Parts: sequence; C-alpha cells; structure tokens
Amino acid sequence: MSSGEPAAVSIPIHDHHGKAPATSSAVPAAAAAAAPAAAPAVAPRKVGIPFFRRGDHHRGSRCLAFLDFILRIAAFGPALAAAISTGTSDETLSVFTEFYQFRARFDDFPAFLFFLVANAIVAGYLVLSLPFSAVLVIRPQTIGLRLLLLVCDMIMAAMLTAAASAAAAIVDLAHNGNLRANWVAICMQFHGFCQRTSGSVVASFLTVVILMFLVILAACSIRKR
Amino acid sequence: MEGSEEHGETSKAPLSRGVSKGVFILDVILRFVAIIGTLASAIAMGTTNQTLPFFTQFIRFKAQYSDLPTLTFFVVANSIVCAYLILSLPLSIVHVIRSRAKYSRLILIFFDAAMLALVTAGASAAAAIVYLAHKGNARANWLAICQQFDSFCERISGSLIGSFAAMVVLVLLIFLSAIALARR
Repeated sequence: MSSGEPAAVSIPIHDHHGKAPATSSAVPAAAAAAAPAAAPAVAPRKVGIPFFRRGDHHRGSRCLAFLDFILRIAAFGPALAAAISTGTSDETLSVFTEFYQFRARFDDFPAFLFFLVANAIVAGYLVLSLPFSAVLVIRPQTIGLRLLLLVCDMIMAAMLTAAASAAAAIVDLAHNGNLRANWVAICMQFHGFCQRTSGSVVASFLTVVILMFLVILAACSIRKR
Repeated sequence: MEGSEEHGETSKAPLSRGVSKGVFILDVILRFVAIIGTLASAIAMGTTNQTLPFFTQFIRFKAQYSDLPTLTFFVVANSIVCAYLILSLPLSIVHVIRSRAKYSRLILIFFDAAMLALVTAGASAAAAIVYLAHKGNARANWLAICQQFDSFCERISGSLIGSFAAMVVLVLLIFLSAIALARR
C-alpha cells in the first residue's frame, strides 16, 4: 500500500497491458486499438487484426473460404443475367396474317420456363448462402457448415445443369431443326428471340462451371481443415 | 472438438471404424446400382429402331435414336459415365479394405462431380426432346411424332428412368465421399 501507485487501483480498461481479459473483452471497440498484442488466452475473435494477417494455422483454410466467397459473388451475375434475359425474351414478327400473329415468348416452350425458374432459384440461393460463406471466412474450423454448403451447392449445380441442357436441346432444335421429325428451324424467322435465349444458355453453363468449382473447393477445404 | 478427434487416429473407437467401413461398403453398392442404371439406359436407347408398316414410293418411315442428335448425345454420355463407374469400382473396393488413402477420396469426388454434370446434361436434354415428341409445340409448329411412332416413343421415354436414377445415385455418392472426408 505505497502511496506512490495510484494506478494500481485504476480501472483495468485504461491499462495497456490488459491483465483482465474478462472485463476488457466486454468493450471490444474501446480496447481494440489499445491491445494489439493478443492475450495468452485464445479468444475466438481477435479484434484489431485483419483476418488475412492472422498467423494461426487456419491460414490456408481461410484463404480457401475467401475464394469461396468471391466465387459465389461471381456466380450470381451470370445466373441472374440468364434469368432476366430469358424472362424478357418476347419477339413479334412484323409479318402477320389475318388470323394469326407470329410471336415467340419464353413460356411457349416449357423447357425455357423450367430454365427461367431454375436460374432464378440458383441466383436466390447464391445470395442467401453469402452470409454462411462469410461465417466460414471468420471461423474456418466449422466442418458441419462446410458440409452443408457442399451438399447444397451440388444439388443446385445438378438442377442448373438439367435446366441449362434442356434449354440447350431446344435451342439446338430451333437453330437446326430436324429433318426426320419434320421440325422446322424457327431461328430463321425469330432472330432476336433465338440470340437472346442462346446467350442466356451460355451464361447459365458458366454458372454451372463456377458451382462445380465451388463443390471441389469445399471438398478440398474439408480435407485440409 | 475436432482437434481431439483428429489427433487420435489410431485410438479411434471400433464403432466409428465400423461406421466408416459401412460408408465405404454403401459406396460400392451404390456404384453397382449406378452402373446398372446407365448401362440399361444406353442399351435401351441405342437399340431403338421402328419402321412404320406403310410407306410411299420415295421414302420409308423409320425412326432411330441417331435421327435426333440429342438422343445420340444421351447414349454417348451414358456410355462414358458407365465406363467411368466400372473403372472407379476397384478404387472404391480398395477404400473398403484400407481406409487410409489421402488423395484418392478427393480425386473420386472430383470425377464424380464431373460425371454427375455429364449424366444430368444428357438425361435432361433427352427429356426435353422426349417431351417435345410427346406433346409437340403449337407455337413453333412442331408436330408430336409419338402419334405415329408409338413403340419408338415408349422406348425412349423408358430409357430416361435409368439415367435419372443414376443421377440421384451419383449425388448420394458425392455426399458419402464428403462425409468420409470429414470423418477422417
């Protein structure tokens, strides 16, 4: 009890060497700048250090999880673009007879309807799975979440492949027709409709490739841990 | 915690080792089922040949799978997937015997995913064409050919079943491989 130490009775928050982590972790914002050196007890959240500079043994997993996050954002673009461009495909020819107007829309073909719905579902799923992917960047040791994302990604990839290849079969028929079945190639007349649906099928296949890569990435990071 | 579990590799309980072996045996069985499914689909589609009894002077009404390029793709895709599954069967059997392989599980997942994409593409493209053959399309003026070629139509419709079953089985196989990776 010497009188020359008034700081010993001061509140631990203002102390630079945080000796009481229990109380200082309750105010992370105030203690973040004041305590760069981590306490010996491993806290689940090291504040103040950006996640890619933490030198723990989870670094490789964190890089893979970050790549997963970026690829999810990259896959959302083509899926949404394919859905929108199929949904707005509507072409009316300038020539018409008295009884019939020549018009082509996506809902004249059930395969295109399925294609539109599947792309919309996959785009929505990719947006909804972004927070889960972000959680994996922060805590890379949750295996259950990675397994869940792998299974969901795989199911979405299979559904999108099915929709894209059904639409591709119809597009191929529209471009080339079929001699034996006497099916006329309608692309000769409906140019804009054909181009738009062909482009959206290509974008959808790009999304499939990215989704498959996401599945492989998840498998690699489960194995790597 | 996963840390204590993965350090004690040799001290794993016999129950969890039995579960791992069960997972690998299920893997082999599912591969057999998928082989049968894809083989049956490829053969059923590949042997389609129907000739209508009436004919004109110049042309004879005949339908084969090779008249529609999508159905040709279906046969080729199913054959490739069947061949891959037969080739990967020894690898799965090796996993049952010694379940300590490091990279082969990952390679198996990679190729299973690629084959899943291939078989799904073939099956659903053929499904789109078969739907068109049954119903036709009023807007594009495409007639339903099933009205005339009914036995051809039945056969191409039935051969889709085996392919879709193989697709479901491949999804299960990838799931099992991921579980095996996570339990290692």
